[in-house]
This record gives sequence, C-alpha cells and structure tokens, in this order.
Amino acid sequence: MAERSLWRGLAIPGVVWLLLFVVVPAYAVVAVAFGKIDTLLQPVPVWNPLDWNVGFVKEAFAGVVPGGTYWSATRNTLLYVGATVALCFAIGYPVAYYVARLSGRTKGLLLLLIFLPFWVSYLMRMLAWIGLLAPNGYVNEVLGWFGVGHTDWLDGNPFSVIAALTYGYIPYFILPVYAGLDRIDMRLMEAARDLGASRVRTFLRVTLPLSWPSILAGTVLIVLPMFGDYYTNDLISGSPNTNMLGNSVNLLVQGGSQKNLGAAMVLVLMTILAVGMLYYLWETNRQAKRARA
Amino acid sequence: MSTTTTEPGTATVARPPAVRPSRWPAWLTNPWGRPRFLALTTWVYIAWALLPVLAAILFSFNDGRSRSVWQGFSTRWWWGDPDLSVFHNPTYTDALSQSLELAVLAMLIATPLGFLLAIGLSRWRGRGSGSANFLMLVPLTTPELAMAVALFLVFTQLSVLPFTAVHLGTTAQVIGQVTFSVSYVVIIVRSRLAQIGPEYEEAARDLGASTRQSLQHVLLPMLWPAVLASALIVFALSIDDFVVTQYMSSGGETTTVPMLLYANARGGATTPALNAVATIMVVVTLIGVGLAYLVLRWFGRHSGDQQKQSGAMADLTGIE
Amino acid sequence: MATAIAMGGGGALELHELEKRFADVTAVDSISLEVAAGEFFSLLGPSGCGKTTTLRMVAGFERPTKGEILLDGTSLATVPPDRRNVNTVFQSYALFPHLNVLDNVAFGMRYQKVPRKERERRAKDALELVELGALAKRRPHQLSGGQQQRVALARALVLRPSVLLLDEPLGALDAKIRRQLRLELKSLQEEVGTTFVFVTHDQEEALSMSDRIAVMNGGRVDQVGTPLEVYESPATLFVADFLGVANVMRAEAISSNGSGCTVRVGEFELRAGCGELGCRGAASVVIRPERLEVVPLAERPGENCLPGMVDRTVFVGSNLQVMVRLVTGEVVQASIPNHGEGLEFHEQGKPVAVHAPAEALRVLAGSANSG
Repeated sequence: MAERSLWRGLAIPGVVWLLLFVVVPAYAVVAVAFGKIDTLLQPVPVWNPLDWNVGFVKEAFAGVVPGGTYWSATRNTLLYVGATVALCFAIGYPVAYYVARLSGRTKGLLLLLIFLPFWVSYLMRMLAWIGLLAPNGYVNEVLGWFGVGHTDWLDGNPFSVIAALTYGYIPYFILPVYAGLDRIDMRLMEAARDLGASRVRTFLRVTLPLSWPSILAGTVLIVLPMFGDYYTNDLISGSPNTNMLGNSVNLLVQGGSQKNLGAAMVLVLMTILAVGMLYYLWETNRQAKRARA
Repeated sequence: MSTTTTEPGTATVARPPAVRPSRWPAWLTNPWGRPRFLALTTWVYIAWALLPVLAAILFSFNDGRSRSVWQGFSTRWWWGDPDLSVFHNPTYTDALSQSLELAVLAMLIATPLGFLLAIGLSRWRGRGSGSANFLMLVPLTTPELAMAVALFLVFTQLSVLPFTAVHLGTTAQVIGQVTFSVSYVVIIVRSRLAQIGPEYEEAARDLGASTRQSLQHVLLPMLWPAVLASALIVFALSIDDFVVTQYMSSGGETTTVPMLLYANARGGATTPALNAVATIMVVVTLIGVGLAYLVLRWFGRHSGDQQKQSGAMADLTGIE
Repeated sequence: MATAIAMGGGGALELHELEKRFADVTAVDSISLEVAAGEFFSLLGPSGCGKTTTLRMVAGFERPTKGEILLDGTSLATVPPDRRNVNTVFQSYALFPHLNVLDNVAFGMRYQKVPRKERERRAKDALELVELGALAKRRPHQLSGGQQQRVALARALVLRPSVLLLDEPLGALDAKIRRQLRLELKSLQEEVGTTFVFVTHDQEEALSMSDRIAVMNGGRVDQVGTPLEVYESPATLFVADFLGVANVMRAEAISSNGSGCTVRVGEFELRAGCGELGCRGAASVVIRPERLEVVPLAERPGENCLPGMVDRTVFVGSNLQVMVRLVTGEVVQASIPNHGEGLEFHEQGKPVAVHAPAEALRVLAGSANSG
C-alpha cells in the first residue's frame, strides 16, 4: 500500500545520513587498521578485505595484553572503570532510591537538583575540581584542618582520576536507576510488607531484583563512554602513569604518524566493548518491541 | 501467644498472634519514621555535585589571578580588564561565537532529520526496519572517541565524494555533532509517540483524514513538545560537546569553548576569565532548558496532559 | 422533533465469510452477517471472541484474511478507512486533546470539503443533539467520562455515516451513568435512523438496546436474533449460559413425540417442550431461573418435578435467589420475586420440589461440562 512507502520515505533522509556518517566511517577505521603506511608516514586505507595487512592489528592486540606496550593503559582502564562503577552504585543507588520513593513533597525540588549536573558541561565540572584540587586549593586546605598533609592531587594521582570519573559520570548512572525505581509499583512492596517481610527483606527480595535492569542500564550507560575517555585523565592528571586506553588512541591518532596503529587500537577497544554494546542494543530493542506491541 | 478459634463443622485451627514481635527497637522499625540516613546521603550528594561548580562560577569573579584561592570580588575578568577579560579577549569571544554557531546549526539540522526518522522508524514495518533501528542506536552506544576517530579518518584519508568536499573545520564539526545528536531526537520523539498511541491517528483516519492529513493535523500538533524538547537537547549536547568537536576542528577559528577549557584548564598562566567563559556556557544552557521546561509545563496544563509533575522533566531527559 | 442530521437512507451492512488470522491465532473465523439499514445491531460476546476485530475490519483498520464486507452492495475491500462512509466511536473516545470540543466535532467535515461556516453550524447542531451545546469551547480533559463519550458520538454522527460503529463505548463509565446513557443512545439511534453496530460484553446492555444481537464465541457467531429470541430460545449452550443465568442439567434424550422430547435426568423422566426436540443421546436441558417454581415437597404438581433441599437463599433486593440441591446431585437456581415473605419461607435445609414447566424446559444436544 502507499502507506508503507510513506513511512519508509520519511525515514530515508535519516538513514542515508547515518549510512554516510556512521557506517562508512566505521569501515574506514577498519580499512585503515588493516591498511598500509606510505612513505610520508600517512596511512593508506585498504578497502578490499583480501588485501588486508594484519600487521597493525596484531601489534595493537599484542600491546594490550600483559607485557605489551599498552598493558598499563588497559589495566588502568579496567581498574578505574571498575572502581568508578562501584562508587557510582554505592553513592548513586541510595540517592536514586531516596528521591524515587521516599522524598514526598521535596521530590520535585530534588529532581531538579539531581538533573542539574546534566546541563553543566563535563569540562566545566572538571575545571571546577582543578581549581579545588590545586596545591593551594581548598581541598588541601580543608584536609589540613584534619591534619592531613598537602597532597599533590593533580599530578598522576589515580585516586583523583577515579574520583573525577565518578563525579563526571554519576548523573548518567542515577538517571536510569531513578527511572527504574520510580516505575516500581508501590503495591508490590506493600504486598511484600503485608505478607510479613520486613523493610530490609522487602528491599532485598522485591525492590532490588526489580530494579536490577535499570542498574544494568545505568552501568552500561557509564561504562561505554568511559572506555573512550581521555580528557578526564588529561585534565586531572598530567602524568602518563594514569593513562587509559582512550589516551593511547588519542596519542596515536592525533599525535601524527601512527594513525594505522591508532585505528587498530580503536578496533581493539571496540572488541572489548562488543559484549557490553551488543547486550545494550539487544535489551533496548527488546524494550522497543514491547512498547510497540 | 496464639489464639485458637472454632468454626461450626471444622476442627480447631491455631492462628499466629495478632502482632508478631520484632527483634529491633521500636524507633528503628517505626513505619512512619523518616528515612534520615538516606535523606542525609542525598543532600550530601547534591552538595558534592553542585558546590564545586558554584565555586568555579564564584572564582570567575575573583579579584586576583588565582582560580583556586579567593582574593576578593571583582568583575575584571568579565569586562573589566581591557585585554584579558572575556568580552575583550578575541580568543574567548571567538570560541563563544563558534560554540553558539555550531549549536544552532546542529539543532536546525538534527531536529528535523531525527524527527522524520523517528516517525518513519516507528511505523516502518517492512524489510530493513530492524537494521535501520539498529543503525540509529549505534551512535548512542559507541564511545565518542571511536566515532571521532572514524570521522577524522574519513574526512582526511578518504578520496571519495562526498567526503572529499568536506575538510576539517566547521562543516565537519557540524556533521559530527548532528550524527550523534540524531539518535537522541529519535529516542525522545519515539518515546512520546509510544505514549500517544495509535488511536488518535486511527480516529482521524476514521473521520476522513488521509494518512498524510492525520499526520499533519493530529499527530504533529500532539508531538511538538517532544520536538521542542529534543531540539533543546541537541543544543545542549552540542554546546557541551568536546571529543568529536575537537577531532573535527581545524584549529584557530574552529575552537569552541569546551576545547578552550581543555587546552587551558591546567595552565599556570590561565586567568579566571576561563571560569567566566565556562559560566557563560552554563548559563546559556540553563536558560534554554529552563525556557523549554516552562513552555512544556504551560502547554501540558493547557491541554490537560496526563503527565506527572515531572512529565516535562521526563521529556527533557528522555526518560520514558 | 426535526432531526439535526437527515439520513440519506442506506446503511445495510453485509459480512460474507469474514475471516481474520493473526500469526497463529484465528480471531474471526468465517463470520457471515446481514445488518439491515437503520438497525441497532449488537455484537455480544466475552473478551477475545473476535467482536472488536470484526468491528475494526468494518472500520478499515484491520485487513480481512478472507471474506467480504459490503456496504449497501459496495465492497469495502480496497477502500481505506478515510474513504469509507463508516465512522467509529472508540472505546477510549480518542478526542483530540489539542482541539476544543467544537473543533473536535467539526474535524471530519474538513475532509468532506464542507465550507467553514457550515462546518461550525453543523457541529453546533450535533452538540445540541447530544445536549452538550454549552461546552463547545471546553477542552476534552475538562469533561467527564460521559460527556466525552457524547462528544465522540457527535463527532462521528455529524459526518452522516451510513453505519456507526461503537466499540464498548460505555465500558469506562459508572453503572448509573451507563444505565442512563443506554436509554439515551437508544433513543438517539431511533431519532437519527443510522445503522448502529454496537460491540459489548455486557449482555444486559445488548438485550436492552438492540434490535438484533449476534452472540459471538471464539471467533464464530453462535446465534443471531432479537433479544427475546436469544434469551428465550438460545441455540447453543454457550448462548444460554452467556445471556442471563441458565440452569443446565445433564440429561439423556430418549424419545420425542408431538408434545415434546422425553429426557432422563438422574432417575427422573422430564418432558422438554422446546429446543432440539429431535436429538437423541447425551444432551443438556436448560431452564431460566425465573421459570422454575419452588414448592414445598408435599405439594408437588406432578409432571417435571424434581425433589431436593434448599441449599441457600440469597436476597438481592428485587428478588430472592433460591439454590436448591436436587436429589440428582445438581444445584439449580430459582429466582423468585420478592413479595416480602422474608428468607424464612425458603430456609436452608427445607425439603422442596422444583417444578420445571415443560414449555420453558429446553433440550440442547451435547452435554455441559458442569451443572
């Protein structure tokens, strides 16, 4: 019927755009990663899979395993991301829970305040911490009241990086968790209490399991971008000690003559993330289908 | 102590006591008690989240050159200082105007593109709809760095039209920003579409409107809050965007405020004017969001939308 | 009273072996119906019986897998919903929230190329017809459920459709408003003369409003007839049970002669005066509660009497429902008008006889699953 082509027609411009600027560039990365390098040290993309040169990709994969050149970056990334997720959960879940279920009249105000950091640029927020963590900044001063000596927070300190990552990404964790908790029907919890479960038991056996999908969504939502983060590290820690995979990629590509390796590293990064991404896509698609039905 | 009860014709049954004893003291298990600990955590979190930003804003009014030690109040970094203040420093004003220009362009392109895509995707039932849907989700789930590198390579290494027509610079920046913004528009509009449901269009068709007419006269008027909300999201995303914008830039005039912040935040010679320019960005974004929120609230009340108080908020942050 | 909407005649609907299959479910299984012009026709059945799907096929929102739909002789097979002279009152009313009441009612006339002045006039008249003239400038969310329903009605009727489809329009309303609207809808239909096809699961609604009813079950039509016909002479066990309460007893049909069919219930032989008199073997007998008489055991009048004991008596205001456990083991319900005697007359445990007059006892082939 003519209807079908109407809907398809509406979607065409968007699809074409995405094809041009997502699919083709994605293949370009692959082509460069499996490509060659010319005499001017510029990468030469190889489009035909039959002519692929696996040298750079091999080098990249070799680099991220223990003992490789980029192993410390990989290890840092895994550690920092893990620590950040744990912190985001420890801080963010109780906050989301309180706002979603217990805040009563102050809910509107709290929502406003919780959502506010979204609209503040990430870099502005990092800038704020640079000011506070400076050697003569207020963090050191306050710590001084408790007798803690002056620490150089901004020079290669992994705790600063983890704290900054947590600070930067936690709103993105709280949002889906809040949404999930808000959606839980209060009557389910009332039923559990009615049947004899204490508050703690109700939480553990009803609320937590029901909010699990949203916790997962929040985790995926922060882990994915964190794997490509290089600017947090650059801003909060000037030292290559705390480099993450994102820094490695950034240095290779924008550094100048190692774009092939950079592209290969992007592939490695994406492979590591493939599991998480596929899960998220599948889950979102499933929910979209359910909403459509 | 349990009670027993008898009913005619049945054996005696032992029942549990009326009130089960608890091992916790009464004040802890009081069902009407306030959740003190959680409330405290929440407010402490809010303070932790917002105070540093407020401090940074405050430092933009610092009297001295320091961004970490308060030296008194002054507006020198805003307009006072003839060379280094925000409004007199061409580096800063150029960055501001570039940021705004990109944001407006991205908004104007991504919103209609995403809107049409959203409607098309939500009704498209044929072949390819699944892949198109998947494609739309890719920018959302890819680290921005990967997308930036991909676009960078395409615009610098690819000798195929139309890519050769684009060099690094404003055009490339706009293209990059639109590419990841489109997905947000789609999600917001589709979520609203799902809320609206198919029945209004069916009613319109039933009353004689063709597909196009029901789209134009019924669906669109009901969707415009979502369109407005998504336009604003694109604007905010664009203003605050860093990675793609930096990779697509060609230096100098294509520097945006986030790029400026990145380059200068750690510098010893940087003045609080940097804080000032960052503050301007925050204020612009907040004004935009605030306006959108007010418009959505007014519209919601006027047409009796069945949304909770946080409905407009939900539109703006894309929660379903 | 002069009607605001003059009908151009027509509105005869024919469904020929209409079928709709979804993936693995056959929602509508070869239905054939004829609705006369100007009739108030109901599709009655439990949820999932296919009545809404049938309605949507007539409206044009579902495409039949097989079969034909004819409106005044014209096939609707390739006609999209906006081109059919059929309008729907949706279950949720679907009033456009961004338009006020008057604009909602006037909506469809725009596509019929009616000039603006006339659109407003006709819309106002339609609102007068449903007695909502004063609310023309309000928004839908400011109206009560009953008022919204009337706006939806006006919106559809103003377009002078040949057939008006109503999809459980009274479902979302309180009992009292529902009863009131039933009468109003019925008189509206009589006044306006349009064919109404009304979908409902509420048998009281269907019985009180319809000229004819089609009782549907599992995608098929079990019976079509006037309210009296389907109630008094149910063609199948399902129809008997769905409309009102039915006492169904397992029986064995033995023989028949001019005055009816002899059936055996337990050790008793009864005469069934109506139904499938020619059937033999496993069967069911059906009788309505209000036709059963309950008399003290000593007084039994002879034919078609079954002894038993009062199990329980329930007082529901206008009548008493007396449940009697027969010696055959089955429990039947008799409905006795409340003459003020009180419950003690039919107290629990009292031995009684239940008399099922032959002309009200119906025999149907096939046995019931339960009593």
